[in-house]
Amino acid sequence: MVVLDLVLNALATGLMLGSIYALLALGLAITFGILHIPNVAHPAIVIAGAYAVVMTNRYGVDPVLAAVLWMIPFYMLGILFYEFYARSFESRGGGNTLQSLTLFFGASLVIEVALVVAYGTDLRSVSVGYVGSSLRLGFVAIPYRFLIPALITPVVVFLLWLYLTRTNVGLAIRAVAHDERAVSVSGVNPAAIKRHAFGIATALAVIAGAALVITGPIDPFAGRIHIGRVFAVVVLAGMGTIPGTLAAGIIIGIAESLVMSFMSPSWAPGVAFAILLATLALKPTGLFGAGR
Amino acid sequence: MNRLVVEGLHAGYGAVTVLRDVNLEVREGELVALLGMNGNGKSTLLNCIMGFVRPTSGRVLLEWEGETIELSRSAAHETTRRGVAYVPEGRRLAPNLTVEENLMLAGGSGRGKAKLKENLGFCYEMFPILDERRRQLSSTLSGGQQQMLAIARALMTSPRIMVVDEPSVGLAPIVVEQVISTIRTLQETTNMTILMAEQSFFQAIEVASRAYVLSHGRIIHTFDQKVDPASSEEIRSAMMGIA
Repeated sequence: MVVLDLVLNALATGLMLGSIYALLALGLAITFGILHIPNVAHPAIVIAGAYAVVMTNRYGVDPVLAAVLWMIPFYMLGILFYEFYARSFESRGGGNTLQSLTLFFGASLVIEVALVVAYGTDLRSVSVGYVGSSLRLGFVAIPYRFLIPALITPVVVFLLWLYLTRTNVGLAIRAVAHDERAVSVSGVNPAAIKRHAFGIATALAVIAGAALVITGPIDPFAGRIHIGRVFAVVVLAGMGTIPGTLAAGIIIGIAESLVMSFMSPSWAPGVAFAILLATLALKPTGLFGAGR
Repeated sequence: MNRLVVEGLHAGYGAVTVLRDVNLEVREGELVALLGMNGNGKSTLLNCIMGFVRPTSGRVLLEWEGETIELSRSAAHETTRRGVAYVPEGRRLAPNLTVEENLMLAGGSGRGKAKLKENLGFCYEMFPILDERRRQLSSTLSGGQQQMLAIARALMTSPRIMVVDEPSVGLAPIVVEQVISTIRTLQETTNMTILMAEQSFFQAIEVASRAYVLSHGRIIHTFDQKVDPASSEEIRSAMMGIA
């Protein structure tokens, strides 16, 4: 009975954790998975989004509502940042991956330092009524601080999937990394499409930030432990598949949670990397990727 | 008169000059062939018309329904939206989108938007194979079917003029014939204005009403089949640079 109890709790925690990982990775599924831009700054942007939510929450605004409000400014910041990236790298003969990595790594350090300067290194959290209480289902206790953010992911994934498959702009976003000329001759500006997609990815980072800060307090460096994990989710899903991102996040979340419960919590951060390496070795196109 | 005009066009890449003083004209309802062997500047000329390559001097003008638009100043997607559709060499489809998604992408923006359903219906009627495979990824089509899709995609933008770059490249001879006859049918049934670059001149001159021969970046010959029918041997010699 004790083992069953432990397994069920680990699965429930893993499921919710995984859903939150998927939300963290969703912006990267667009920038890296679809546009092939190695945006290692994504977790740092998520944390910046989380700080925006924390600061708004001080005035009593619900964190999820705050995140939705912050999406527009972040979308615009994303567009500006992409414009800088495109002008300094892509326009000068193709985005060199190593140079782009350096740029985004630098950007993530700048974001972290800016947060330290502005808010210090203290842990910050949001105050909402449901943090601290749990939903009890038989053996399983589900804390609301995991359940609420975990429930956001399927909604966001569904909306994003609709956008990418049902709208003209969505089709262009999916086409642009594969063949810019295909987009041009369809009468759509490929540069504007990439800028817009990067803006959406940045806006999604705020939602992920809200989810993360509801689960627990954050400091300016809280994005770092997620860098490897979000890339693992995107690669395991298969580059650019949005519903696949949710499934991949859940697989990694459950695997981590089981390792935490039955081996040792200190092994957990290695799980995502192990899965990433196994994916690259055994099925480089990912679980749901169509290949190229 | 509605027409596309190229005036005194010079273009090149860096220190290399590819086009020297090119002048040509495509009138409404014509199918004009642009003939020339590889490396003589056909693709560069079409790329200048579309806006993928900026000319060093000269202009490309679209004179249509009383307005004159300078295409040499507009980017390729703007050129497309102004009614000059492009069927690029090598098709350039979005490989990760389905047949229908490729068509919807082209049809859902700019000029074609208002007639989206109508255009889609027309494309499927004209190319039943695309209708059959509408849910398939475009990368899974055969070369000939991909060429059909590239032509259909151009039609989705409700073009005034279609610019077709070497539709025969990479296709088996029998498929080349199908593609060329498709273009002819399209021209005959819809009176579409077409500028087509080709190096398989036998097929091209059979369908074209006029032809320009491009050699070393210059137009060296102009043939008008109605005014002065040239033998295919004469055209071939011109292309090869013998005449």
